[in-house]
Amino acid sequence: MSFHRIILTVNGSTEQVDVPGNMTLLQMLREKLALTGTKNGCAAGECGACTVLMNGEPVNSCMVLAAECDGAEIVTVEGLAQDGQLDIVQQTIIDEGGVQCGFCTPGMLISARALLNRNPSPTEAEIREALVGNLCRCTGYARIISAVKAAAEATQ
Amino acid sequence: MTTASIKETTNIGVSKPRVDVREKVTGAAIFTDDIQFGAGLLYARVKRSPYPHAIIKRIDTSKAKALPGVKVVVTGEDFPHRTGLYLKDRYIFARDRVRFVGEPVAGVAAISEEIAQKATDLIEVEYEVLPGVHDPVYGASPEAPLLHPDLGNYEVPNFIFPVPNTNISNHFKVRKGDVDAAWSQCAAIVEHTFRVPHVQHVPIEPHVAIAQVDGEGNITLWASSQSPFAQRNLIAKSLNMPESKIRVIAPLIGGGFGSKAGITMEAIPVAIAMKAKGHPVKFRLTREEEFFTNFVRQGLVAKIKVGCDKDGRLLAIQNEMYWDGGGYTDYGVNITRAGGYSGSGPFDCPNVKVDSMCVYTNHPVGGAYRGFGMSEVHTGIVQAMHMLSEKIGMDFAEFLKLNVVQEGDKILTGMTMHKTGIKECIDKVTQAVNWGIKEPPSAPNKRRGKGLAVMWKAPAMPPNAGSSALVKLNEDASVTVLIGGQEIGQGSFTAMAQIAAESLGVPFESVKVKGPIDTQYSPYEWQTVASRLTWSMGNAVRNAALDARKKIIDMVAEAWGEKPEDLDIKDGYVISYKTEESISLKDIVVYGIPKPDYSGWVGGPIVGSGNFMPTYVTGLDKETGQGERAVVHYTTGAQAVDLEVDLDTGQITILKAASAFDVGKAINPDLVKSQIEGGFVQGMSSAIFEEMKLVNGVMQNPSFVDYRIATTADIPKVIEAYIVEAPQDDGPWGARGVGEHPMVPTIACLANAIYDATGVRVSNPPLSAEKIYLALLDAGVVK
Amino acid sequence: MINPHPGLPELDYIKPASLEEASKFLAAHAGEAKPFMGGTDCFVRLRDGAWELKYLVDVKGLDGTNTITFDSQKGLIIGAAVPMNQVISHPDIVKNYPLLSEAARTVASYQLRNRATIVGNICNASPAGDTTGACIVLGGVLNVFGPKGKRTEPLSSFFKGPGKTVLEAGDIVTSISFPLPPNGAVGRYIKLGRNMLSDLSIVGVTVLGYPDKTTKSGYRFKIALASVAPTPLVPTQAEELLAEKAISEETIMEAAQAAMDAATPIDDVRGSARYRKYMVRNLTRQALTDVWKKLTE
Ligand SMILES: Cc1cc2nc3c(=O)[nH]c(=O)nc-3n(C[C@H](O)[C@H](O)[C@H](O)COP(=O)(O)OP(=O)(O)OC[C@H]3O[C@@H](n4cnc5c(N)ncnc54)[C@H](O)[C@@H]3O)c2cc1C
Ligand code: FES
Ligand code: FES
Repeated sequence: MSFHRIILTVNGSTEQVDVPGNMTLLQMLREKLALTGTKNGCAAGECGACTVLMNGEPVNSCMVLAAECDGAEIVTVEGLAQDGQLDIVQQTIIDEGGVQCGFCTPGMLISARALLNRNPSPTEAEIREALVGNLCRCTGYARIISAVKAAAEATQ
Repeated sequence: MTTASIKETTNIGVSKPRVDVREKVTGAAIFTDDIQFGAGLLYARVKRSPYPHAIIKRIDTSKAKALPGVKVVVTGEDFPHRTGLYLKDRYIFARDRVRFVGEPVAGVAAISEEIAQKATDLIEVEYEVLPGVHDPVYGASPEAPLLHPDLGNYEVPNFIFPVPNTNISNHFKVRKGDVDAAWSQCAAIVEHTFRVPHVQHVPIEPHVAIAQVDGEGNITLWASSQSPFAQRNLIAKSLNMPESKIRVIAPLIGGGFGSKAGITMEAIPVAIAMKAKGHPVKFRLTREEEFFTNFVRQGLVAKIKVGCDKDGRLLAIQNEMYWDGGGYTDYGVNITRAGGYSGSGPFDCPNVKVDSMCVYTNHPVGGAYRGFGMSEVHTGIVQAMHMLSEKIGMDFAEFLKLNVVQEGDKILTGMTMHKTGIKECIDKVTQAVNWGIKEPPSAPNKRRGKGLAVMWKAPAMPPNAGSSALVKLNEDASVTVLIGGQEIGQGSFTAMAQIAAESLGVPFESVKVKGPIDTQYSPYEWQTVASRLTWSMGNAVRNAALDARKKIIDMVAEAWGEKPEDLDIKDGYVISYKTEESISLKDIVVYGIPKPDYSGWVGGPIVGSGNFMPTYVTGLDKETGQGERAVVHYTTGAQAVDLEVDLDTGQITILKAASAFDVGKAINPDLVKSQIEGGFVQGMSSAIFEEMKLVNGVMQNPSFVDYRIATTADIPKVIEAYIVEAPQDDGPWGARGVGEHPMVPTIACLANAIYDATGVRVSNPPLSAEKIYLALLDAGVVK
Repeated sequence: MINPHPGLPELDYIKPASLEEASKFLAAHAGEAKPFMGGTDCFVRLRDGAWELKYLVDVKGLDGTNTITFDSQKGLIIGAAVPMNQVISHPDIVKNYPLLSEAARTVASYQLRNRATIVGNICNASPAGDTTGACIVLGGVLNVFGPKGKRTEPLSSFFKGPGKTVLEAGDIVTSISFPLPPNGAVGRYIKLGRNMLSDLSIVGVTVLGYPDKTTKSGYRFKIALASVAPTPLVPTQAEELLAEKAISEETIMEAAQAAMDAATPIDDVRGSARYRKYMVRNLTRQALTDVWKKLTE
């Protein structure tokens, strides 16, 4: 098995990593870069716990090969807060009570941030649609949806 | 409880922010799989049985052992002791027989997960396939093959009643009054058989555990665990070692819902690590394994008969339950018991007969799941009540209010019911959905209907399940609370911080409650299950905080030459009501206070300790289920929905869901509401979508692709949560638990609403679009 | 017993520099190499052990596979590597081929659609593919680069069975072309899943309708059905009926019934054959009605 040397930026810092062909972006983040905020809930593209931004768009990092990420720009949950200042959706999900066990939260926040980036004032239906790939078993979602609404309102 | 509990509070009944949330939104929170172990880490995989029932004839591990990178291969030969939470009926790895598909047969540790996986493929196992049991009613019959011929010899506590030489591993009976004599007096009788399928917990974090064994044989286990202490105990038992040689460390957990209580896969890395010469060994379940190799919620077949007089007053309830326990029922036997002693549902009825039987089958192993049998029980009993109310011609809400259990009633086990707010719960939710008013559907091809259900549930646990806590003060007057109960998302760390702050008299912000739970340093807690923490651990924390408070006040009283009664702690200051002097807790709680002129010192580092254990639960008679106090208490509640059924597809849309629960006292109302909302959605998901499709013991849908759970697109437009507070006499500030209850009534509530909308009863979950549509078709409602 | 690997099994990632190189490699490693775009089907199969491969060949970014081009005379070309989200929001597609957007939008989740592609959906040849029907009724043609050079493959003869197509080792689909949609065309895709969104289809119904002077009814309707036969199904009798008879509620019901009769679904974990048959009827009726309403507005 051969390794591929890739250079990419993760949360703004440049990384050089040697990865085997079957390694996913998720595995690389967690195992090679010790960025364990991004979670593995299924390894099959279904749960969204592994969602990260790749070149500005959310992807299931378990459904991307690390080798494909040469030159890519990745943002994980660890990269959302800037200089200790929480991203607005991080703040509103706290305020609305949208976190329980917290395992879905990193992926949920990334999907929410991506939604607000492309659509700063989404309707409730648009929020639901944008988060449909992020499973949460604890909260029942309503407070997460309110958190995204609140974040949108706060940035108007 | 001292009088200190009655004074005005600033921390109780207040929605304080969660203490664990910032780390969770920044990705800093450490879950078990996030812990770094360095290069020495080995990865475990498991060889599993492909058959539901078979004799193991031969295992050949030689090829696996020869694979480069493989460090350890173990089989059942290596671990001869049985284990199990209640009934000790299972081994870590199957020894002579396998009894469910996915049962561990051998384990491998290698330098990578990939190599370990390859090695399991190289293990050869020869089986002789045996006929299986795939239905609990058949399993309980004399015709069924015996799955555990040794059942009569298994170690079991005195409140579980196995029937040797059958597949019934617990038969719990209730005999109250005379059901048989009552039928003739009934004006209406309903008889119906309900089937509830197996479902999965589906925490988004799959199970993961890492074990390491040092040179002296001391075992450390890091696990995503709801019950580190119970796991320590169970591992000790299965390995025949003292508890002191085992340490379990449980970081934050990504959802449990009961699946991470007791012990299942955690024993595997421990067993392998014992042969791995100091290497940590990590074992994580894939999502697919998560579905069928670990604890599942048992299936249930309930044959129910209920009757009432002409005024709608209940006269008799008969409930014969066959629990589909799976290949092992070490935990399932107690779910059966809980299902039995609550088997009438929350109804006052003079004649009750319950038979609750845990039946071995060749299905996945049943374990605790949010509600501990109560969702399954209520699915049948509450629908049966709805049918009965219709038969006698009474509005269901009226019928319920006439028949629900009230303070002073002798419930089915003979226990006297305590104060409960169930009627108020019914009022709240019926008002919320405009009960009794038929409202038009949103489109011609839709039908609209409303549903209502009630519930009760008691913590299901050994009579003497205990809690303990330590409250430690620091130089800066901050407070560290040490507990053994887990934060599994329900907010227990936050509630405990509120209880400690209030009891001690310090600001909430100065209290720290943090994981991981570590059996070496954390005080004992039985398990984080049964919705018991706020009540039981809450009492322990309160007692520990009061102990610390007393030590501080005694110290200051001595230093100031005052009476302790004249002193109080407020906002982090000790104040004297008499002299109006005050002193900050800073420094004095560690260094003490100098006597005048430094003639000496009083005090010393302050640590308070406290515990709690119910001492009043009595045993129940084996033949009648009667006893003075079966359980510690019941939390009750009600739920109502307003929904539409699409006649073209059978899909339902929930317009509004309202839930109300009597929590005694909401320590943190917002967290209580969060539990209620999240629980409703989990209940709704299990009601509409979820079913482990088992064909000859093989799960057909072990992934998110075909085991669907609710998403953001499926939740009701409006979800409302109401809190009712009829205080619990021995709860902190009157609190009792509510973690599990919100999903208990949901299946029945939705089934009742679908019936109201369409006139067709779909009684067995999942209430899928397909099932509803085909039922409408068969009933001629659609063509 | 379904018991997939924890991660992807050992394999190598190949990133060829040209279509020629990719095609050669794939032809030389027939049976042990596959091309991939988003990989959302490939990775799942590999993890499940349904496929055992030595190589995954990344054919994204080669010769025009990354672009969408629209020409008001010639029609639309979607590069094979274009992720579905770009299709969904592309202004020319939203304006001229809204059916493609509508269908693609029902696939999985937003984040998955940043990887999943329409060509991947077609080449995967699942009868449940959500975008296949839209591509069929819009007259999509695949542009293929193979060992013997370039060729085109119409979708009408592309599918050979579940997971089976006419493609052979070394064939790489570079894009899918669509003619201009018929004047006045209106489309509709109705997907029935277990969840409201994100599930695979129990049944999917695609309808495209447009005025057509050559038919007796004055209209032509094209219909494609997902998840009710081994390959995407075109119920031709239903289509003919709608061309022959004056369009009315009754004709629509008759056509829906004909679609139901044409469907040959199976029982599987997602739904029973019986339910699927009824759903073909009800959803075809609904889709036809929706389209008909818009055509006559
Ligand atoms: C979580 C999840 C949810 C899903 N939900 C849906 C859904 O709702 N609806 C739906 O229709 N599908 C769904 N899918 C399936 C899948 O996402 C779609 O089929 C997708 O369109 C595939 O595109 P891709 O680019 O990822 O394909 P790939 O995985 O890259 O390829 C798919 C197949 O096509 C072949 N192939 C790819 N590119 C080429 C090429 N250029 N030339 C020749 N052959 C090629 C591959 O060898 C492979 O056989 C889902 C998948 C996942 C993982
Ligand atoms: S881990 Fe990637 S979607 Fe579940
Ligand atoms: S908070 Fe637990 S899964 Fe979402």
